[in-house]
Amino acid sequence: MTAPFAYVRVTDDADAALDTATPGTQVLAGGTTLIDLMRLGVMSPTRLLDINRLAASPSTRWGRIEETDKGLSIGALVRNSELAYHPAVRARFPVLSQALLSGASPQLRNMATTAGNLMQRTRCAYFRDVGVAACNKRNPGSGCAAWDGFARQHAILGGSRDCIAVHPSDMCVAMVALDAVVHVRGHYGAAGEGVTEREIPVEDFHLLPGATPARETTIGPGELITRVTLPATRLAARSAYVKARDRASYAFALASAGVALHVEGGTIRAARVALGGVATKPWRSREAEQVLEGHEPTDALFERAAAAALATAQPRTDNRFKVPLAKATIVRALARAREAA
Amino acid sequence: MATSRNIDPESRGAVHPLQVGDRAPSLVGLLPGTGAGRDDGLEQSDCPTVIALFAGGEELFAGEREREAIRAQLRALGAVLIALSPDLLWVFRPDDERQSLEPAPRAPDGGPPALFGQCGVAPTGAHGPGLCGLFVVDARGVVRFAHRVRAGERITLRAAVEAASRAMLLPLQDRAGSSRREFLLASLLTGFALAVADACAPAPPLRDAGSLPQEQLDLTLQINGQRHGLRIEPRVSLLDALRENLGLTGTKKGCDHGQCGACTVLIDDRRVLSCLTLAAMAEGAKVTTIEGLGGPEALHPMQAAFVAEDALQCGYCTPGQIMSAVGMVSEGHAKDDDDIRELMSGNLCRCGAYPNIVTAIRRAQREMTATPPAVKGPA
Repeated sequence: MTAPFAYVRVTDDADAALDTATPGTQVLAGGTTLIDLMRLGVMSPTRLLDINRLAASPSTRWGRIEETDKGLSIGALVRNSELAYHPAVRARFPVLSQALLSGASPQLRNMATTAGNLMQRTRCAYFRDVGVAACNKRNPGSGCAAWDGFARQHAILGGSRDCIAVHPSDMCVAMVALDAVVHVRGHYGAAGEGVTEREIPVEDFHLLPGATPARETTIGPGELITRVTLPATRLAARSAYVKARDRASYAFALASAGVALHVEGGTIRAARVALGGVATKPWRSREAEQVLEGHEPTDALFERAAAAALATAQPRTDNRFKVPLAKATIVRALARAREAA
Repeated sequence: MATSRNIDPESRGAVHPLQVGDRAPSLVGLLPGTGAGRDDGLEQSDCPTVIALFAGGEELFAGEREREAIRAQLRALGAVLIALSPDLLWVFRPDDERQSLEPAPRAPDGGPPALFGQCGVAPTGAHGPGLCGLFVVDARGVVRFAHRVRAGERITLRAAVEAASRAMLLPLQDRAGSSRREFLLASLLTGFALAVADACAPAPPLRDAGSLPQEQLDLTLQINGQRHGLRIEPRVSLLDALRENLGLTGTKKGCDHGQCGACTVLIDDRRVLSCLTLAAMAEGAKVTTIEGLGGPEALHPMQAAFVAEDALQCGYCTPGQIMSAVGMVSEGHAKDDDDIRELMSGNLCRCGAYPNIVTAIRRAQREMTATPPAVKGPA
């Protein structure tokens, strides 16, 4: 049982879903992160805005996957399982299908939504335990229990002294490799002005913790994700996701890599390398991409790219193993992408 | 429940002894960023506030080391401190490393700070110098703890906040458990500690929730082909509604956090976790539980296969395994045993009956895909 809250169901009016600026409001989609964290006492909204009905509403495209010339448009409320098994995703954006199917369980994938996955919170054990006082993400200014604690799970890239919590998503890693764009709807400017949309490259959507780990994304109150678009690029089809974890299935990544290659005439023309399980946000390694681009896709090149991706890693005592593990996932993902399509 | 009473801000004497449940006195002028000249209605802190009133002596303010010890605890608690003597004001906010130690604001008539009177504490200290009043105000501005130090009580602010910090480490249900609380309230320090811990905890304790006005939802759920009217709080999960309100206890509660799969049901024929689904979210959909799949006289092929293949030991995870397997078969992605293992990975079996579970599912899958797949319900 969670703390009490008011329940508001939005059925047909997409603008009503933007009523997120009321203090204490959280948007409820799949509920797989939110209700879990509410039951743990980590999140305690006083008002839930259930937007699930908008998926079937003819007034929105929030529940739809649409193929266009420009690529793919994925509604905010498209369930992870539906997206993973969509023929266009499997054929044209395999890294996304593979990433989704490597995440959570079939039941959770039937519940979790595209937008909810973008907004999911860390699995840091200290963040999830309200008995631990020090967590800058949960309780700004209180310190970071992981820094001096058991940090096996934690980030080796993108961390700060204030937070080394890992972003747990598989989907987002694939989306970084696919140059996805997050479409956000909101009231901007003075009150009374209309509702407009803005577009955020998924790479910029999540924030590094820095000194403000409680702030995780670039969107704020009064804003809501409506859809994600994947551009049709020559990279997307030759893409792959490799995930290393503590058990064969149904576990969060210790390290994962989502990669995409555009190979022409035996040369890598363009590359995307994204990492999961090792960083405080879905991580794009431009360093690795630079090593790859313009060269023949050999195993030796892949090793060099992996080394470049981890060159700035700052492991703690308990998670040093993530450096070689992440390198190995990158090399393996690149090899799979090379064979694909 | 104590009725909320508003303290007359002009009241100077100990007319209203401040009680738990009262609205807290205005803290305008004490907290940084509030006070005269502001018209944005910002009067209270937005996080729990500890008010410590000192009479006479200045020992609290004497040592930086003492203050640092107190600050560390408050930072961990996420609580604001207002420590006030007739002469000095010390405010500490956990989100702001700066602290202010400044002359206490005098009342308009030049008397001691008005907060003393509003809290019903004599600024001279009824029993000598030192801590003479200790109050906890939650983020909503409601008093959660009120104590005026009596003769013979020796209590320091440092000991109090350290106790509060320790109380934060108690499991939530212990903090909220009424019998345990009544027992612990015998100790003043612990009472304070629990009040701070509760006020600082993200979730209000369960037992207190009964005293708050709770929104009730009138829902109609369609379960196993039958419509059920329910009047429940929005926070009730589908799992709890099934088990506690509708008596359908076939669906099991394992972890209640989406990690074990024991609570798997079908919503509109898709397998989902009922523990992470609010009952309200299932309104308008078709819910199928293990009871709706088939009874002893007419078992669903998946149920029959679990029996035939001895696919269980203790049986607790079995309803979830079966519902998940039925969902998996209708999804149509399992081509071999490896696929079955992967696509059933959301259902844990602590007895380790996995080999027979896979065999049973393979057996039922053959039968279900040979005949039109059907989820049989009473209606």
